[in-house]
Amino acid sequence: MVVVGTAKHAGKTTAFNALRAVARRRGVAIAVTSMGRDGEPFDALDTEPKPRVRLAAGTLVALPAGLVPRSPALALLDRGDESALGTMMFARAVSVTTCEIGGPPTTRAMRATIDRLRSLGEGPVLVDGAIDRIAPLAGGDDAIVLATGAASGATVDRVAGAAAEVVARLRIPGRNPAVERARMVRITGALDARGAEALLAGSHDVTVVVEDPTRVAVRGALFAQLQASLDLRCERPLHVVACTTCPVGRGAALPARALVEAVARATGLPAFDVVADLTAPRE
Amino acid sequence: MTDALTAERIGLVWLRAALEPVGAFGRRLDETIAPYGPGDEARALEEIAGVVARARALDRDGVARLRAALRAVPEPSPIFARARAGDPLADVDFYELGRFVDGLAALARAWDAAGGAPERRPPTLGALEAALAPGRENGGFYLVDAFAEALPAARAALAAAEAELDARREAIAQRVRATTGVDPVGDEFVVLREVYDGPLPDGVRIVRDAPTYRTAALELSSGARDAAFARMSEAEEQARRALAERIAVEAARANDALRALGELDRELARVAFAQRWGSCVPVLAADGVRFEEAVFAPLADALSERGRRYTPLSLDLQGVAVLTGPNMGGKSAALATAGFLCACVALGVPPPAREAALPLLESIAWIGGDGPQDRARLLSSYAAEIVRGRETLAQASPRGLILIDEFARTTGPREGRALLIAFVEALRARGALALVATHFDGIAETAEVAHLRIAGLREGALGEVSPNDLDAALDAINRAMDYRVVDARDGAARSDALALATLLGFDSAAVARARELFDD
Repeated sequence: MVVVGTAKHAGKTTAFNALRAVARRRGVAIAVTSMGRDGEPFDALDTEPKPRVRLAAGTLVALPAGLVPRSPALALLDRGDESALGTMMFARAVSVTTCEIGGPPTTRAMRATIDRLRSLGEGPVLVDGAIDRIAPLAGGDDAIVLATGAASGATVDRVAGAAAEVVARLRIPGRNPAVERARMVRITGALDARGAEALLAGSHDVTVVVEDPTRVAVRGALFAQLQASLDLRCERPLHVVACTTCPVGRGAALPARALVEAVARATGLPAFDVVADLTAPRE
Repeated sequence: MTDALTAERIGLVWLRAALEPVGAFGRRLDETIAPYGPGDEARALEEIAGVVARARALDRDGVARLRAALRAVPEPSPIFARARAGDPLADVDFYELGRFVDGLAALARAWDAAGGAPERRPPTLGALEAALAPGRENGGFYLVDAFAEALPAARAALAAAEAELDARREAIAQRVRATTGVDPVGDEFVVLREVYDGPLPDGVRIVRDAPTYRTAALELSSGARDAAFARMSEAEEQARRALAERIAVEAARANDALRALGELDRELARVAFAQRWGSCVPVLAADGVRFEEAVFAPLADALSERGRRYTPLSLDLQGVAVLTGPNMGGKSAALATAGFLCACVALGVPPPAREAALPLLESIAWIGGDGPQDRARLLSSYAAEIVRGRETLAQASPRGLILIDEFARTTGPREGRALLIAFVEALRARGALALVATHFDGIAETAEVAHLRIAGLREGALGEVSPNDLDAALDAINRAMDYRVVDARDGAARSDALALATLLGFDSAAVARARELFDD
């Protein structure tokens, strides 16, 4: 399960930690890693405070050698690909450990890291993800949780609208010959704005197939037009299963209940505010 | 020993890549070993003979498995260096040293399985293995309690403090749930005023008080827990220091082991080469270049990739000799083979030949065509040859091999021929060792040096081939060509240029006209 955010400070790591806390409360042994450098006390770019990652005893973790804490010592199990902060290490927390975590730099290495964590443990793998690095999840059975919040819009409607657009893009359906249109256009590489305009200028009785949703570089109204006019599909779909909301960000505070309900309504996914303990079911 | 053009033409670049050690220790050792030169004959011969013996004693699969095992041994030198300097080591360092110990053991097993001699078995480091053993399980590493006396008690105290903190966290969380209805899954939570607007329970502090919500945090600071953590951290550092000291003691033995691994890596690269391309123990003689049925491995490798066969070459070169013969007959290959075999012995590699007598040289120089350095100097092909010729002539001696491939072919033939004759005479006067390939007539006779030639196309051996089928034409030429280097006094010299042009599909009328002109 991979948590990604619509913007910085959208509550991604908070949602990630909430999932871990719930797993711990239910006695589910988990494995964790990150698609970037996470868990440091302050954001490297804007020095905003960030939640630390607290690993319960028994938690499997993949992190670069440079982030392996000196205390308490981790049980080091295996090594993986190289990263900017050293070789990726697979470890088990022997006692409660608070640390930074980070991940490998390439999609192939990320996929290998997740697979290795799955083979080392029996429980789910939780990944503190990044929305621009989820290509390795395409075609797999990984679930994606989208964290959104006040950091991505000044009003409830704007936050919900932004979340809906991201979810629509990430949930481009997989191939289904039974409903596909007679003519098919296969896009190799990225589908950009110029390509989208060209497709819209032609016949709309067409199924457009991209490799995976991350290859769609079109945003906003153009993407909406594309989706409304054509049958847009992908070879390797992603599975977005839920949203989380964070009503605080960018110095603004939005009404928490209205936000979680609006996001559920706009995305068609269940939404949760894990800090305020609010749930809005799928609509 | 050579410049870039020569290294490329005589296959030295290819050879160095083929001999690349698989491990960092082997590469490091290789960088410190200079090629053998004049005076190093005994050492070179000892290394080459050792490689030939090992190539015969070990099977090829065994060598491949040994090299794979070598490749898997991690490079621990930086860790040992830090340990020796007294720097603190980290658990990842101990884990890597564990991999090093495992790698050595796997290499020793591969050696035994390959039938390697017991007295040359790769080293293992028992004391290092024993030092790390308490923390090792299934290839991993953990700083177990056994590494320091204070560690078990310190860890137990921290566990107790964490348990006490967890109980306090749960007690506060329970009060929050009971009072507000909010379930705080983390240490911070939000209470909407529309849900609950009353006082928050003990053990909770308000972080942000907004009109519609309050953000609160569980008060979980614990001096006892922090103190227990500090004591446990110190105990872990003590354990690491003690282990690092034991590792520092092993550093000298580890360095010896790494040196031995480097030597094995270097030798196995040569053994694999000898097994792949054949080998002999040469006579290291300074008076010429002689070899029987030698393989110019870079060309043989390229031909093999295209499904073609390589014809081994023989040569006897003393002093200066001119080599003539047909196009595509292997003149350049003969020059390259001479340079390649000399480079082999300079690098301690058995020459791939049935037998050979070769010198250890101070230098090998190739003149012919232009290389990257020449193009960088904006020299034309002719200018590059002249400049290279000038520099080579200035340094010419019996301790260098000069390989000249169609010198002055890009200038007017009369002047070019005259220049080449003068060049060969100058080389002869300096006592140089040189092989000169050319299409110019009468060079050897005028300059009074030996004249060798490629035997050339066998009479009537060239069959009919479709002019559009280049592969078939090349195969036919390969079958019909006699690549032997013979004394030019035995039979007439031919270039076979017109016959080859026909076979390669050149316009038949044009070839016929050319034959008329040639016969006139």
